[in-house]
Amino acid sequence: MVVPLNTWVLISNFKVAYNLLRRPDGTFNRHLAEFLDRKVPANANLVDGVFSFDVIIDRSTSLLSRIYRPASAEEPQPHIIELEKPVTSEVVPVIIFFHGGSFAHSSANSAIYDMLCRRLVHFCKAVVVSVNYRRAPENRYPCAYDDGWTALTWVNSRKWLQSMDNKVHIYLAGDSSGGNIAHHVAMRAVESGIEVLGNILLNPMFGGQERTESERRLDGKYFVTIQDRDWYWRAFLPEGEDRNHPACNPFGPRGKSLKGIKFPKSLVVVAGLDLVQDWQLAYVEGLRNAGQEVRLLYQDQATIGFYLLPNNNHFHTVMDEISQFVSSNHE
Amino acid sequence: MVLYDSSALSAGSGGGSGNSSSSSSKHPQTDIDGLLAGAGYKVRSSELTQVAQRLERLDTAMVNSPADFTQLASDTVHYNPSDLASWVDSLLSEFTHTSALPADGPGFLIDPGVNQTVPNSSWNDQSAPQIRRNVCFEQNQNHQVTVVTAMEEDSGIRLVHLMMTCAESVQRGDLGMATSFIEDMQGLLMRVNTVCGIGKVAGHFIEALSRRIFQVVGHISGSSAYENEILYHHFYEACPYLKFAHFTANQAILEAFDGHDCVHVVDFNLMHGLQWPALIQALALRPGGPPFLRLTGIGPPSPDGRDCLREIGLRLAELARSVNVRFAFRGVAAARLEDVKPWMLEVSANEAVAVNSIMQLHRLLGSDSTRNSPIETVLGWIRELNPKIMTVVEQEANHNQPAFLDRFTEALYYYSTMFDSLEACPLQPAKALAEIYIQREICNVVSCEGPALVERHEPLAKWRTRLAGAGFRPLHLGSNAFKQASMLLTLFSAEGYCVEENEGCLTLGWHSRPLIAASAWQAAPDGASEVGLINGGGNINNNDAL
Repeated sequence: MVVPLNTWVLISNFKVAYNLLRRPDGTFNRHLAEFLDRKVPANANLVDGVFSFDVIIDRSTSLLSRIYRPASAEEPQPHIIELEKPVTSEVVPVIIFFHGGSFAHSSANSAIYDMLCRRLVHFCKAVVVSVNYRRAPENRYPCAYDDGWTALTWVNSRKWLQSMDNKVHIYLAGDSSGGNIAHHVAMRAVESGIEVLGNILLNPMFGGQERTESERRLDGKYFVTIQDRDWYWRAFLPEGEDRNHPACNPFGPRGKSLKGIKFPKSLVVVAGLDLVQDWQLAYVEGLRNAGQEVRLLYQDQATIGFYLLPNNNHFHTVMDEISQFVSSNHE
Repeated sequence: MVLYDSSALSAGSGGGSGNSSSSSSKHPQTDIDGLLAGAGYKVRSSELTQVAQRLERLDTAMVNSPADFTQLASDTVHYNPSDLASWVDSLLSEFTHTSALPADGPGFLIDPGVNQTVPNSSWNDQSAPQIRRNVCFEQNQNHQVTVVTAMEEDSGIRLVHLMMTCAESVQRGDLGMATSFIEDMQGLLMRVNTVCGIGKVAGHFIEALSRRIFQVVGHISGSSAYENEILYHHFYEACPYLKFAHFTANQAILEAFDGHDCVHVVDFNLMHGLQWPALIQALALRPGGPPFLRLTGIGPPSPDGRDCLREIGLRLAELARSVNVRFAFRGVAAARLEDVKPWMLEVSANEAVAVNSIMQLHRLLGSDSTRNSPIETVLGWIRELNPKIMTVVEQEANHNQPAFLDRFTEALYYYSTMFDSLEACPLQPAKALAEIYIQREICNVVSCEGPALVERHEPLAKWRTRLAGAGFRPLHLGSNAFKQASMLLTLFSAEGYCVEENEGCLTLGWHSRPLIAASAWQAAPDGASEVGLINGGGNINNNDAL
């Protein structure tokens, strides 16, 4: 099997850098992490048809989000960009995106996620809201979920994001820890009556106490080890908890059944070389058993992070699927 | 088993659809991988295999000796993470044992089995980090505009829209239209909260627009040097931008002066000399004892017979005496920086020189076709001085654009962010006076043109090009300075300020928008001053081997 060389370099670089940041005592070298992370500012000028700007959603927690919008069809080259100009199409999907990083790494303004969000806008003709949620270990469960929830209510209340039917068409999306956050924010949405039209989970981060076959088989083989997964769960979950905590293992022994609940439809992408795939597949099973609508995309020879660079077939396949998932034909 | 597929590079470098990364054909001299560039890493396509191999070796080394690598993780100072090849190499050089590692060779195959945890084996000595020579690449910088404010009220949004439309009319020369917009906006201002948020900064911008339209030849920014100094002092107190500038520059200067007994700092704008007590004290505590420190402070001539420069010099001398640092001060009074000639600085051959410019270089960017460009003149003589270090701090903004609307838009976002950051300041009257200080800058940017326009801020990317073209190479500020700056911020400021690393330079910003950038430079060796490809950028560390 083959990984493009530049992807290999990118993900290896993260692996090596992240090893430097995790300390055996469970603390995290946050200064070095911020120093090493490649960030980009928002850009309110159109670049390849997309512009972005940052908004403080909640001052008390300094919760920032970066909003990405496509140029409007009527004004492809506007002279003055109005950041919060009401969307004009009949239906505009708004994707609330939670970046990955195993709950500890990256930010909404990380270059890799800025690129990914721009591509999502391009392929889906959507507005993307990338949430800069609080990270572990400084901020454990449930901070990230709280921030996701805050972002959801904020997006839901923006008049300028409403489609013609005066509703905001919301999708939740995320990769790795972001996928996990998307699931849990959707759970809260269901409980409080905010409608989420769909969940998009890219290599979502789930786990459990037992060691699964995929974990044993793939440990250390493709950039990720069981040991580092354990570290991140210890950093995120409340102290003293194990990996069967429902945040980590939503359909495990301490999980809740979703039978009878109006949960959004889900698109779950699993990479065949990801060591936590058994947990991801168990998640899909859990949704199915509860009668929920779920589409599984199993990318056989894909490694983690395949979607970060557009240089492989998996990337394009997945982008096509996501774009169909959020288009109005499927609602 | 994972094989590298080099042929996938051609798919990689070209970029996917809707992707703005540059492809290799745009830069024939430097074949940077376009996709990695988008991710913030500059790696030559031709070097990818090598970098990959070294990453693998590094990973193996880390896995094989967790104890040593924990030390590596906490002790190493990192520089310019964008230059991936150098970063990996410098980490590798921390591990001296190579016998246990697979040799580099063609067709290198990674055996994934190597990545699994193996029992600990110990490594012995560790060499000091070597100074890496970095290669600078010309960077295509997109025109960048960001805003970080929560625009809750409709009125706030309308105000912004009106201001932009007004600015557009001004650019078109339609002053009648622009005037009517001013009236609309003044009306709207009455319905908007002008104590904070968008209303506050809007007021200043509307005022500046009015001045421009009605050609008010005011002395808002031409007032006395004394007033300016007071406002500057309060700006220094109310928010961390100047403290960050001084702190970062001093850190770099201190390290550059290591091992030198005679040192000479040239400060392009002395003001109250706020930057220097900390440096004097740090030099006093230097292992091996302090050097003989000369300080030359440049500033405007004092009115009414006083010699303000000398007064400040005397105070600094007092301080130096109290901590046993031999010190000499000289003031150079000049109305404009370009009036300073190098002979006035009396630099002697045996001293290590540091040139310190805090927000002064941009003032030299006004072009006057009747004489040599001031920036080139000044950079020229600095280079001839061959200083050990030149510290440069500048506003991270693109305010030196020919088109008025672009400049106005940039300024609106930049100063909104800055005002937003000031909201949290509890100190009065520092906060109010700091706002007036900023307001004067806004007025200059918006209502002035030609020689009167001195606030010609340019972003880091442009300064890099300019300084490289003038024969300077960067000295990278590292993770140590980053960490200390971050920690200082948490001590002195509200939450929301953040320090970021930008290819060897450090920026301080509010939330995700960098507002001020600090960098350090040295004269490049002769014959190496082509723009875009300079060999020999160094890092700043305690071994001054450059």
